Amino acid sequence: MSDTASSLRTEGLSKSFGGVLAVDGATVELRDGKINGLIGPNGSGKTTFFNLITGMIKPDAGRVLYRGRDITRHSPHRIAHAGLGRTFQLCRIFPRLTVLENMLVAVRRTRLRELLAGLRDKGEVERARHWLRRMGIEHLEDAEARDLSYGQQKLLELAAVLMAEPELVLLDEPAGGVNPALIDRIVSLVRDLNAEGRTFLVVEHNMDMVMGMCDHVIVFDRGAPIAEGPPSAVREDPKVLEAYLGV
Amino acid sequence: MRIASRGLPLLVAALAIAYPFLVPNFYLVYAGALTVMYAAMATSWNLLGGFTGYVSLGHSAFFGLGAYGTGLLVVRAGVPWVVALLASALLVTVFAVVVGIAAVRVRGASFVIVSIALVSMMNLVVQGWRSLTGGSTGLQVPSPFPDLHRGQTHMVFFYLFLALLALALASWWYVSRSRFGAGLRAIREDEDKAESLGVPTAAYKVTAFALSALFVALAGGLYAVWFGSLDPIFVFSILIGSYMVLMSLLGGVRHLFGPLLGALIVAPAGEYFLIALGETQIHLTATGLVLVLVVLFMPDGILARLTRRRAGPSIPDETAEQRLQGVAQ
Repeated sequence: MSDTASSLRTEGLSKSFGGVLAVDGATVELRDGKINGLIGPNGSGKTTFFNLITGMIKPDAGRVLYRGRDITRHSPHRIAHAGLGRTFQLCRIFPRLTVLENMLVAVRRTRLRELLAGLRDKGEVERARHWLRRMGIEHLEDAEARDLSYGQQKLLELAAVLMAEPELVLLDEPAGGVNPALIDRIVSLVRDLNAEGRTFLVVEHNMDMVMGMCDHVIVFDRGAPIAEGPPSAVREDPKVLEAYLGV
Repeated sequence: MRIASRGLPLLVAALAIAYPFLVPNFYLVYAGALTVMYAAMATSWNLLGGFTGYVSLGHSAFFGLGAYGTGLLVVRAGVPWVVALLASALLVTVFAVVVGIAAVRVRGASFVIVSIALVSMMNLVVQGWRSLTGGSTGLQVPSPFPDLHRGQTHMVFFYLFLALLALALASWWYVSRSRFGAGLRAIREDEDKAESLGVPTAAYKVTAFALSALFVALAGGLYAVWFGSLDPIFVFSILIGSYMVLMSLLGGVRHLFGPLLGALIVAPAGEYFLIALGETQIHLTATGLVLVLVVLFMPDGILARLTRRRAGPSIPDETAEQRLQGVAQ
């Protein structure tokens, strides 16, 4: 395992909120080029773990390494530039910007010339349209994002994240609040994007989705991983059954 | 509608250029110059407030510093007024970068309080530093055009402020159609989300803050050589800062011409109330009432109300064409 290049690795990552240990010395290594799943009971620290990796909150202890580089305590935008993209648990888009503007917010590099370039810069608009087409929402590019349905907003959020060309995509509950037909669409999108070389880390409560889609599953309980492995193995693991069923 | 939206600004611009020759007396030229000055300042304020949603009530700090910087360079160092104006504005911009790094760390109401603290501190410093600034007795700045009579001076400054307004409008327009502008608007909508998409939010906010300060400082510098007399209590007042906010909110912060429209209403109204009601503070009450009505009935400003498109709340997942094809199959 240590021989395969790891895209993301955390070492002893810890964070507490006023005496409550949300993440407790989590040491996790993602499988590069795979769809990694992160599951666990409510309150087991999955979202906090996400926020620690992406720099939204700072850890009390531990390190986050991305492709061997220490990115602990880097600001979220630098972590994004390093190649990490994420979606949020409750879909977050810019409601009063148009769909196309939502796409053009993403910044890959801070180069003055690019920042001063017009919003209608041809190459970038084409790239944005390409992603919108893949999500199947290209006909909405001039609509204000708040006028989209929730499912469309979820697709827009993912499209905007992909606009920043991340190598590692973190999805926080992609199936939450979404109809079954759209879940299938998201699963097949993730599979395609993975086949193109992107690594995924997916937090999800929908077990069917996780077990059907992921190559490698990490199970969290009380802020630290208690089991990991292929879905079939994790499903049978007594520690996992105990954490979920409390037996 | 399209012709109106293109032609109207040109018509207004032509009217503005002809304005000093159309009005019957120099008082109206003076009132016009004041209005254009406020329009330029409100448009500059909107470079920060409109894009990022950071409401600064303390932008008069940059107005006052621009004014005192220009005045002091002319009076104490004997620098030509144009050089003094530009140097002072540049210094204020550098100062705004330093202040901005600290100020934009806090959001929402806390930022408003910080901005008020800023203008209060500047007021105290300028009042207290008597040996340099003349303290509360004020600073007298000689007129740059001693050969012109007062009315002609008003006319010169009317055009100078008009040029500044054009510069501020052009900057807002340029930013609004850049990716930098899209980033700033994203900060207004959801700052953490913008950061996660790779937008260096702190650097963006400081840049907008400083750019906004630059134009306000230029307005302050022009004001100093125009009025020739600086009173720290006036130039560093919350009132001037509030005017910029009120004008922008009234016209609409999401529109290029919103602050300008707001200024065209608020500034003449203020002057009118001043004449009609005398040197009382009642005109402030009237101004406050306007603000309350705007926030109640037109929270996005007049222009938003006028140009609102009926997008409709729901957009189908498929286009009508796709749906028809589905039916046909």
